[in-house]
Amino acid sequence: MKVVPSRSSEWVKPVTRQEPAPAIIEIDHVSQVFQTSARRAHVALSDISLTIEERAFVSILGPSGCGKSTLLYIVGGFVSPTSGAAKMKGNAITGPGPDRGPVFQEFALFPWKTVLGNVMYGPRQQGVRATDAEAQSRTLIEMVGLKGYENFYPKELSGGMKQRVALARTLAYHPEVLLMDEPFGALDAYTRTRLQNDLLNIWERDRKTVLFVTHSVDEAVFLSDKVVMMSKSPGRIRQVIDIDLPRPRRRSELLLDPRYQKYVVDIERMFDESDEAGSLA
Amino acid sequence: MMSSAGIVKRSAPVLACIGLLAVWQVASLALKNDSFPTAIEAIRAIPDILGDKEALVNILASLRRMAIGFGVAVLVSIPLGLLMGRSAAVAAFFNPLLMVIYPVPKAALMPIIMLWLGVGDITKSLVIFLGVSLPVIYHSFEGAKAVEEKMLWSGAAMGLSPAQRLVRIVLPAALPEILTGCRTGLVLALITMITSEMIARQSGAGNILFNALDMGQYDTVFAMIIIVGAMGIGLDAIFERVRARLVRWSEPQFDLPLSFS
Ligand SMILES: Nc1ncnc2c1ncn2[C@@H]1O[C@H](COP(=O)(O)OP(=O)(O)OP(=O)(O)O)[C@@H](O)[C@H]1O
Ligand SMILES: [Mg+2]
Repeated sequence: MKVVPSRSSEWVKPVTRQEPAPAIIEIDHVSQVFQTSARRAHVALSDISLTIEERAFVSILGPSGCGKSTLLYIVGGFVSPTSGAAKMKGNAITGPGPDRGPVFQEFALFPWKTVLGNVMYGPRQQGVRATDAEAQSRTLIEMVGLKGYENFYPKELSGGMKQRVALARTLAYHPEVLLMDEPFGALDAYTRTRLQNDLLNIWERDRKTVLFVTHSVDEAVFLSDKVVMMSKSPGRIRQVIDIDLPRPRRRSELLLDPRYQKYVVDIERMFDESDEAGSLA
Repeated sequence: MMSSAGIVKRSAPVLACIGLLAVWQVASLALKNDSFPTAIEAIRAIPDILGDKEALVNILASLRRMAIGFGVAVLVSIPLGLLMGRSAAVAAFFNPLLMVIYPVPKAALMPIIMLWLGVGDITKSLVIFLGVSLPVIYHSFEGAKAVEEKMLWSGAAMGLSPAQRLVRIVLPAALPEILTGCRTGLVLALITMITSEMIARQSGAGNILFNALDMGQYDTVFAMIIIVGAMGIGLDAIFERVRARLVRWSEPQFDLPLSFS
């Protein structure tokens, strides 16, 4: 296993190294402090630095409350950090934008819109013609396995279906970076597995950059190129681990692959070694 | 095709009305009081009122004032309530003002308003406006406050400006709550309308009612009560239909139409 610090030295063996993909997101010494009351301040994130390369699938893994969501919100531009800065393609992130598409754990679908209306919303906002937006959206809905549900309202869908709509709605406006916050956290094991496979298929088809927050070690290893392990109180990056497994990945093959198993066991052991044992799902 | 449960549900209000009238009829016959006509006498007086051109003009004038007061109140209160729900500064500015106005019976302000604006339509519409505004502001405020933040974030990520988010996310998301406020407001509009016409007797449905009372025409009084009541029930029923249509997406479903294949 290659264990690299968050900033790897770029100058080693330039001959044999593959040309590194350019950075798309740079998180530079970001800290987030929440003033919980007049006297007490809570350090949610402490001095986080992380570089995410273009078209990489990066998972953030850590115990509950370590600041994973907060970090994602900062990259999304929904929250501005107390100190430090996040950059997208070299420009400071000052607010949300269609180049970074969030998929929230709470789905946050528009309940007054049908499935089709939700998915079309982004493209319409971007000025895509109604007929084109509809055609693209129908294709996306089919891709996430919801053909036939176009005219359903969110309240008529199950949790897993809502999650699919949320993913399709974000994919529809072609963000360069997908920000996914425990998207499969609330789902049953079966649906979760299916959606992981679907996401992987979609991602392997049109490689976007993905920043994926999860509690699950298996999920992180299965999906990612890179796993960022965080620790709690204050939220810090413990380690960044490259997942060197071939793609396209097939679940049935991967689960039997000793390299996959070793990654999972090693990461779990690293969490176990600290007092954070058990707090990771 | 209507199920038997559907028929029962449909006819329940009619049955309730018939029951009420029957109780009235029996009570009136038992009491034998001049100022308490029987239900049948009151109902007989209704065509006389509705057939009278002057009475009809009066009732229509009432409805017009009510429509103006209600309409303007809704147009002003919804944006104000939504802004208050989304901006702490706007809420802090208007809250004290509304807290003062809230417990004051709006009709009690009439004498002052009459002093300034006379006894005409403006005064009465203004009182109706005041009566309707508060529940609509309150419900719009609560609705806007409850809008899930992640929904607004999703909109922001799609490129919606703050103003667009207010109109295209906060407004529809809060619509069920807003319409609940409007429904309360509609009934309050009717109440304030009659009250205002009682205070400034000049024209209107309330004027007919209280004039008849003064002259001891008790069947007319009760007939007017039925007419005003029916107006309230009718307006509420129409509003409820519109409301149900607008917020179909949020209503819990009783019979799931999930029969696709
Ligand atoms: N708006 C806020 N005000 C005060 N404290 C906050 C706020 N948002 C987050 N926190 C605190 O910051 C810490 C990190 O929160 P965050 O939601 O980022 O954790 P997380 O890693 O996503 O947890 P989980 O896995 O349970 O979702 C928590 O201790 C939380 O209490
Ligand atoms: Mg979280």
